[in-house]
Amino acid sequence: MSEATHDVVIVGAGVAGALIAKRLTAAGLKVLMLEAGPASTQRYTDYLAHLDHFHAAAAKGAESPWPPALGAPQPDSADLALPTPQLPATNGYFIQRGPQLYGSTYTRTLGGSTLHWLGVSLRMLPEDFRMRTLHGVARDWPLDYATLAPYYEQAEHEIGVSADVEEQRYHGLSFRPGYNYPMRRIPPSYSDQKLAAAVDGLRVPLGDDAEAAVRVRTYPAGRNSTPRRGYEPVGAVDLVGEDDRDSDAEARTSDLGGRCQGNTSCTPICPVQAKYNAGKSLAQADRRYLTIVPQAVACRVEVDGGDGRVTGIRYQHYADPKAAVFEEKVAVGRFYVLATHAVENAKLMLASDLGRDDDALGRNLMDHPALYAWGLAPAPWGAFRGPQSSSGIEEFRGGRFRARHAAFRFDIGNDGWRASTGAPDTTVADAVLNRGLFGAKLRDDLAGTLPRQVRMSLAVEQLPDPGNRVTIDPAHRDAFGNPRPVIDYRITDYTLAGMAAASEAARAIFAQAGITDCSKTTTELPFPAVDYAQQTFRYHGMGHFAGTHAMGADPASSVVDPDQRAWRHCNLFVVGSGSFPTMGTSNPTLTLAALALRTADRLITDARR
Amino acid sequence: MTTREERFVALGAALTGIGPVSLAGTGQVAIYLGALDRLLPTGLVDDMLDRFDLAPEEADAAAAVEVILADPRLGPVARSLILLWYRGGWTQLPADWRAEYGASPLDDSRVISGDAYRAGLQWVVAGAHASGANAQGFGAWARRPATGLLP
Repeated sequence: MSEATHDVVIVGAGVAGALIAKRLTAAGLKVLMLEAGPASTQRYTDYLAHLDHFHAAAAKGAESPWPPALGAPQPDSADLALPTPQLPATNGYFIQRGPQLYGSTYTRTLGGSTLHWLGVSLRMLPEDFRMRTLHGVARDWPLDYATLAPYYEQAEHEIGVSADVEEQRYHGLSFRPGYNYPMRRIPPSYSDQKLAAAVDGLRVPLGDDAEAAVRVRTYPAGRNSTPRRGYEPVGAVDLVGEDDRDSDAEARTSDLGGRCQGNTSCTPICPVQAKYNAGKSLAQADRRYLTIVPQAVACRVEVDGGDGRVTGIRYQHYADPKAAVFEEKVAVGRFYVLATHAVENAKLMLASDLGRDDDALGRNLMDHPALYAWGLAPAPWGAFRGPQSSSGIEEFRGGRFRARHAAFRFDIGNDGWRASTGAPDTTVADAVLNRGLFGAKLRDDLAGTLPRQVRMSLAVEQLPDPGNRVTIDPAHRDAFGNPRPVIDYRITDYTLAGMAAASEAARAIFAQAGITDCSKTTTELPFPAVDYAQQTFRYHGMGHFAGTHAMGADPASSVVDPDQRAWRHCNLFVVGSGSFPTMGTSNPTLTLAALALRTADRLITDARR
Repeated sequence: MTTREERFVALGAALTGIGPVSLAGTGQVAIYLGALDRLLPTGLVDDMLDRFDLAPEEADAAAAVEVILADPRLGPVARSLILLWYRGGWTQLPADWRAEYGASPLDDSRVISGDAYRAGLQWVVAGAHASGANAQGFGAWARRPATGLLP
């Protein structure tokens, strides 16, 4: 039943697990990695099949290139397109009990959700770690920005982040003297430049706070740009001979993806892998010490009843991704790392009865519920070109107003109204079917409209709320008999007031730039609705799951310690954005990567002891 | 002598406002024509081509297209054909049309193929490229967009 003992068993081949695997194997530790989904992203020819799957898909959501295996189901944004949701909503993978629908999704394939992330690699603000102390809400982290700063640097190099450090000093973000990102910033799009010229310096009031002066700036992106001295960009993964250790075949990366081409498709798939995905870190791991077992669904964490030590990970190994046929096995190591996503980590631990004495487990689920604002620029600004976005507005991420309402940040799209309305398809359909255009008039209308489409995403902070949680229910199981996540989710007034402020700021920015606001909140949009103060917001998830196994200084109110070690299981580490006590407004990947690298260092020390 | 495919391209050019060379350059002419033949009632495509051929002069093409678009049987097909050229996907005909003229199981809204998606004209008229394909190259997005490339 048991397989060979390894030093460390890692569950999940996403960014956190991959970074830990790379670091542990570099230290000569033997790592066994279980991945629930297939390894169909390791050979570039297989990866291209995912790309064509996306091109040929009718619905081009974040999951469209990544169809799940039967035993590794995943949420899909199409699950949320319910005209009148009946709760609980059971049509997708999640059992959604409401009152709001949780809007985000993730991918269970080797590489995880970095296969379809946008690549935004912002650090959290120093004030984000001290929300209770500074703003009197939520809770403080058990570590601070200064502690994490060296690991942010390491994460920026592991991921390959493009940015200019002088553009990233705001709201107290500080950098080691002489530090710069491994690659120069992604060039801001023509649209970014036009918007910046129009709105930089615009003062937007934020309640009784001092107003914020807007500045359009490129954000740090996990996409290859022009390297700085000494850094070599990592391109597309094309592994050969991964199962043949006797040959000298090693992980290779192809010539593709050394630099962003501007495919305008970071989400859901970068055609050339110029954008980071976790497969790149796995390809750089020392394969002599790494065994990856794909199509292996972890179903139970086996624990010694006495001291709480983990003794093995029981998993279901399947050959056919389309069949409910599997063989049960147990992976055994000295240490264990759960790196299988905020929701999946909590689900797996709950299914292993680890929540009995751990009331915090599964609670405080967060996201960045986000609104779209979209409009028509006064001139062709060149939509549908470049990386999906290249700049943002960060001024609303911090300030005294956070005592009263949520902070927020804007992402400025380069992809027209694709995300908000389904353009250009819907723009063409409207012109032909509703407005009766054809011939030269149709062509000229589209040529005059499409390049003027502008879209911003207004991503709003959400605080930890113990009632927002992942649970399991024996009544709801997947095809392999594993529990489906049951989600309770409420967007509170703190976040809703942030949405209202964000909407006002977006309107002010559009007005200043001469952008005709075309934003709608009508029911034809496939996004869940939430009402607040005589307004209806249509929100979507950002894919920013967090908080289900939050870290803390006190075992009574947290699941893991500041090293991400489970308080109740001394050889178990639970990693990822599930460890975040709060999440601020930064996209979580860089922070969870920094935390993972820090945990890897702790593991190496422990394993050598 | 004009082939059936050439007549189909001429009709497509009048419907879309995109020149015949650009339409032929998509590589989709035979594929789209074959798809229409399969999903529409026998003879309908030829009826549409015949109707358009009544006005071969360029000046009359727009008038001929207007007649086709106003025709209860041909109009909805012509509109789905415009969308096909621009988007690379077929759009299911309206319910009342399907009730009147027959509902083929092949008449469903779908992307014809990855190639068809990549060849959609909507991206080109936007001065852009299909999302996830035909990228313009590093840094091209920082420059003023090129427009007016077609027909």
